Amino acid sequence: MNSSQRAWRSMIRKPVKSSLLLLVIVTVSLSLLCGMACQNASIQTQDTTRQAVGAGLRLDGNESNRTKRLEETTDKITHQPRYLDEGELDGVYIRKLETAYGTQWYVGADNSFDSLLMDDIEKLAAVPGISDYNVTTKITPVNPVNFTRIEDPDNDQYNDIGGVTLLGNRKMELDFNVLSGNVTVKEGRMIGMEDRDVCVISEQLAQRNSLHIGDTLQFNDCHDPENAPIWEAVIIGIYQTQQLMQPLMSGDTYRSENVVFTDLRFPEKAENETEPCFEHAYFRIGDVDEYDAVKSAVEAADIDWERYDLIDRNGNLATMSSNFHDLEKISKVLIVLTFAAGFVILFLIFLFWTKNRNQEIGILLSLGFRKVSVIGQFLMEALLITLLSFGVTVALAPVASEAVADYLIAAQVEQAEIQRDRDAGKVMFASQQAEQTVMGVNVKITEEMWLFSGAGVIVLIVVSIGIAGIPVLRKRPREILSELS
Amino acid sequence: MILEAKNVSYYYKSQRDKLILDHVSYGFECGKLYAILGPSGSGKTTLLSLLAGLDVPIQGEICYDGKPITTKDLAEHRRHHISLVFQSYNLIDYLTPLENVKLGGKGDPKALLGSMGIGEEYWNRSVLQLSGGQQQRVAIARALTSDAKVLLADEPTGNLDEATAWDVIDLLKHIAHEDKKCVIVVTHSKELAQAADEVIHIGGSTKPNF
Repeated sequence: MNSSQRAWRSMIRKPVKSSLLLLVIVTVSLSLLCGMACQNASIQTQDTTRQAVGAGLRLDGNESNRTKRLEETTDKITHQPRYLDEGELDGVYIRKLETAYGTQWYVGADNSFDSLLMDDIEKLAAVPGISDYNVTTKITPVNPVNFTRIEDPDNDQYNDIGGVTLLGNRKMELDFNVLSGNVTVKEGRMIGMEDRDVCVISEQLAQRNSLHIGDTLQFNDCHDPENAPIWEAVIIGIYQTQQLMQPLMSGDTYRSENVVFTDLRFPEKAENETEPCFEHAYFRIGDVDEYDAVKSAVEAADIDWERYDLIDRNGNLATMSSNFHDLEKISKVLIVLTFAAGFVILFLIFLFWTKNRNQEIGILLSLGFRKVSVIGQFLMEALLITLLSFGVTVALAPVASEAVADYLIAAQVEQAEIQRDRDAGKVMFASQQAEQTVMGVNVKITEEMWLFSGAGVIVLIVVSIGIAGIPVLRKRPREILSELS
Repeated sequence: MILEAKNVSYYYKSQRDKLILDHVSYGFECGKLYAILGPSGSGKTTLLSLLAGLDVPIQGEICYDGKPITTKDLAEHRRHHISLVFQSYNLIDYLTPLENVKLGGKGDPKALLGSMGIGEEYWNRSVLQLSGGQQQRVAIARALTSDAKVLLADEPTGNLDEATAWDVIDLLKHIAHEDKKCVIVVTHSKELAQAADEVIHIGGSTKPNF
């Protein structure tokens, strides 16, 4: 009768011992698989979140450079460091104003001076790695011609210009308010790059004026509402906000409900300008993992960088995926602890085996079986039970890993909420934060995980039996038999 | 001589100043039943262990068929030259009597169990369901399955009632005389000593002089 035959009989005919080992191995395998599945889910979710949030680069005008250019241009107009003459050059103008307080000099700039240059934007958009881009106009106050804006009845409107604000986008889906998740379309659709003379209005504005998709809104220049030409935009969508958008300045003209999203070139027409004023550009990076490389390539583009600020726009990534970083760490700890605890428990079980089965060992040795063969039988027995355990684990692992992942995420979310409650009133945010907590992950057990778990458990068993078997290997058969008698 | 102890000495490593066996020499032949007698602690079981290859002497050597057994050969010696029977039967509890006998070697386990008076109805039961006498018979059957020429038994009747003990003594005599094996029995039993062909008396321990 060879080792495997003896191992099989021992396993079958000593069910309590076998069941105990089976339970331990199932627990160790399940813990390993759950740990790996959660870790993998965490990493995948972080990647997905990063990709979904869509890290990108934001291009803004450089304020210092604007001031410098303004001064240089005014010097050219006046040929002097002081304003001594009216004039206009490269979008900068100097006007002389006679007021009750005497002569005032007014220096202004039109859209062509303040705008980001479309040529530069397109150069950056062409950099490999940039998957998409958006251009956003400045907030443009205009006069509502055929509809009524939202007003606060308690507010004195004397100093307000009585308008609404337009926000032009090349692609509304890439507008910062939309990217942050604060603005979502409730009805209709967002504005695309091919659209012309269209708008998306707030649900409050639509309700106030009983407006529907397909209706036409009229706007004109708020500085001269009586005479300025009227421009029309067709409503293609109605949006809602999670929190009100932060107004640019005080007054109902700029309040969140009165913001009207339009196509990129509509605001300049409505304010009766000939040139657009592009305030921001946003470049979405296709593969977030290539973020640094793409950013370097963008910075190497041949444009006048003194004129611009390039801003990283991936701040939410860390926040959004922070609980998953924790989950990943916990999963790692779970794997390491499982290995360590698994080793200790298995070692103790096998030590108990060798102690408790001294008689069997002694008999086999007295019958001429080699020590290695006896330890081999124990190993074979453990491996047979391991095989059976894997069967049980296969059935339980998907449910168990899902449950563990849900539990860990729930714990993380709860922790985050407790932290938020603690911080309430202590931390001031520049704007209302959008909901940033991810509530679930897709837990999947891959073939690699099965292999790793299987190999890990087998290694644990071999090592545990090897070490627990050392006393047996060191003893002489007579010593073992003496212990029996 | 099939088995010899030549000038063998032994002490426990924990009690180096106390010799259990002091330069003893014995020879054993096939076809005879030997009884080793002596008071407790005199080294009877130790001598049996050395003859069985379960341990090695501190001094002297054990020879099988004229050749000394080296440390390397111990497992082979136990496997092919020696059969062992213990006082406490020493059957593996998760194996049936038939399977326990199969562990011993190549002989026909069923025939052996039959010849030992173990009915077929017991062959596939748990060994724990057998009586002490039955278990000892199974142990002897296991010892006989190998084609070893030497059967060593340590107090084989120690746990048996008188009638069963006589059965076992007859069995051992039969094995020695009919099967022409060398049967060496360590015992306190006077009956067994009287039944033996040769009786070896082992005395108490002495101080080592090497």
